[in-house]
Amino acid sequence: MNQLGTIFKFELKGYMKNKVFVGVTIFLVALVAVVMFFPRVSGGFVGGEEESSEGAGMDEQGTGQAEDREGYPVMLVAASGEGTLSSDSMETLRQAFSQAFMDYDVRIAEKDAEDVKEEILSEDAECAFVFDSLTSYTYYVGNLSMNDQNSYRASEVLEGMFRMNAMVEKGVSPEEAQEILQTPITYETESLGKDQIQNFFYTYIMIFALYMVILLYGQMVATNVATEKSSRAMELLITSAKPASMMFGKVFASCFAGFIQLVAVFGSALLFYQINAPYWGGNEIISSIFAIPTELLIYMLVFFVLGFLIYAFLYGAVGSTASKLEDINTSVMPITLLFIVGFFVVIFSMTNGSVDNLLMKICSFVPFTSPMAMFTRIAMSTVPFYEIVISIVILIASVFGIGALSARIYRVGVLLYGKPPKIGAVLKSVWKA
Amino acid sequence: MRLEIRDVHKSFGEKKVLTGISFAADSGKAFGLLGRNGAGKTTTIRILMDVFPADTGEVALDGQAIDYHKTGIGYLPEERGLYPKKKIIDQLVYFAELKGMKYADAVKAIDYWLERLGMTEHRGKRLDTLSKGNQQKIQLVTALAHNPQIVILDEPFSGLDPVNAMLLKDVVREEIAKGKIVLFSSHQMNYIEEFCDSIAILNNGHVVLSGDLHDIKRNYTRDKLILRSENAGQIQAELGASCTRNGEDELLIRLASPADKKQTMQMLTQKYDIDEIRVFEPSLNDIFVEYAGDQE
Repeated sequence: MNQLGTIFKFELKGYMKNKVFVGVTIFLVALVAVVMFFPRVSGGFVGGEEESSEGAGMDEQGTGQAEDREGYPVMLVAASGEGTLSSDSMETLRQAFSQAFMDYDVRIAEKDAEDVKEEILSEDAECAFVFDSLTSYTYYVGNLSMNDQNSYRASEVLEGMFRMNAMVEKGVSPEEAQEILQTPITYETESLGKDQIQNFFYTYIMIFALYMVILLYGQMVATNVATEKSSRAMELLITSAKPASMMFGKVFASCFAGFIQLVAVFGSALLFYQINAPYWGGNEIISSIFAIPTELLIYMLVFFVLGFLIYAFLYGAVGSTASKLEDINTSVMPITLLFIVGFFVVIFSMTNGSVDNLLMKICSFVPFTSPMAMFTRIAMSTVPFYEIVISIVILIASVFGIGALSARIYRVGVLLYGKPPKIGAVLKSVWKA
Repeated sequence: MRLEIRDVHKSFGEKKVLTGISFAADSGKAFGLLGRNGAGKTTTIRILMDVFPADTGEVALDGQAIDYHKTGIGYLPEERGLYPKKKIIDQLVYFAELKGMKYADAVKAIDYWLERLGMTEHRGKRLDTLSKGNQQKIQLVTALAHNPQIVILDEPFSGLDPVNAMLLKDVVREEIAKGKIVLFSSHQMNYIEEFCDSIAILNNGHVVLSGDLHDIKRNYTRDKLILRSENAGQIQAELGASCTRNGEDELLIRLASPADKKQTMQMLTQKYDIDEIRVFEPSLNDIFVEYAGDQE
């Protein structure tokens, strides 16, 4: 125990004096400061929402009238052939589209459908609607972007126009028809479980922080062990301290250093946010990030520490089998891959909004993925308490199991020099030792 | 104190590294552990230091199984190396603390040793700013600072200049005089001969020769003579095949039996003008080559 304390102290001091560690921490804090102070310096987001939807672009172009939207991307409306639609209908369409698409300069195409394509290809226009009738059209666009909603909106406009006309023909006055069609529906949503939209951002940040910290510190632990080995300090260390003390001391120190770094970064983020809160003007994303419930913060801490430990042990064990620093990168590859696969399962499930799918359920009990998977499920869904307990118990047991195993690998590994051994060979000699 | 290694066996996988090692070292004396590369010296030392356990056999101190919590062991490994990028005082304190010393005691002891080895000026420097010999002196501090009862020095003189070698010799003599068990492992036979009272020679994982160095030399069959004379050529011609040149004017004469010694010496001194004639006593080097050489 005494040795463990000595090693912990020495290793932690090593981190605190490490220029890279200190530099990265300061850089991250500075980055957070820049982000958090940005709205104060740039004039803030207060009231910016309305301004930006109207004002962007226009101020630069100097043309502000609603009808004359020169400088906006051009949207063409055209009839598919001569006589398909009257010029009156075309003008009605143009006006309706002009209202529906505030961010386009809607014009009636002067030529026929073929020329419309030409104009889009030559980038004179961004997109075009070519009508066969008032209820049928073809949408032309240069590059169809992922979130192009134009055809959806156009259909709505046409539907509205069609219904309006139909009702007027049936003898309803245009005003009445308007009223029927535009009856406002008021509603509120109240989530009885978790609000995925609100929780998404901090869950994402936490998962990403875990990802960064584990990869970074795992690599640092592995390098640290391999450096001791290659500088032959190991020859003396191994005769001065028990391998288990060395392994646990190192890993705990790196865990603590990582924790300090995270606290520094997130703590300063919180501090800077509080200083600048008025300038953020209740930006939903930002305020949701800083509104993590305490309960979740505790879970985050638990999963962070356990997840960190389990990977740090693995990285340390692998580091002990390499005799040169150059070998580290290839040796740690399997662990890194394991971790990245877990990361992607979680991220995909998060973005799909289906955090309770079967794969996630399995992952939330497997010790190597549960820190990310279970935390995500707790944050974004409702998980029975017993499942959380089981997951944490498995994880704690695995941390001790992996810790003991890696201490044994370490004891065998540190005395091996030369070519990095195969995993099978290492496990075999660990078994026999 | 008496440190005993009793019938230690050790295999790594299929490979048998030690096949029954036994020897004993006493306090107040230096013990030489000799052997060619790969003979099993380092493995023996590691078992002695409890880095890994022996398959069978034991390490005993004064007849009892050694208690590593109570017995201090200092070790200067053959493969030298500490933390190159860390401050010397920091890492020395670290190693002393790992050996169970309190911080204040560690600093005091380390300052004493830095002073003793003339390294005080380097106290606050990074290790990699020092020359190789000085780094080695720093490493020596890690072996001695915690005042261990057993000191194991693996090739302590390699890489030291004559002045530093002299300093190290003095330090080793002091340690022996303090009543410690000093275990030497070296290929430099002259140092072993100078310090060690007892030796063990390892070959292929077992002890081929061990005991008091003086006795070993005395018991060496005394059937060779060394003769120095200006008439070496004539003598060689007379004695024929039993006589070989050992250098200019020097002959090595093999006797048929040790009993012929007196008679042969008398005969030669009467007949020729002889500068020197004596019984050949093997050097440790000769003994080593004979016992540690390939023998199947």
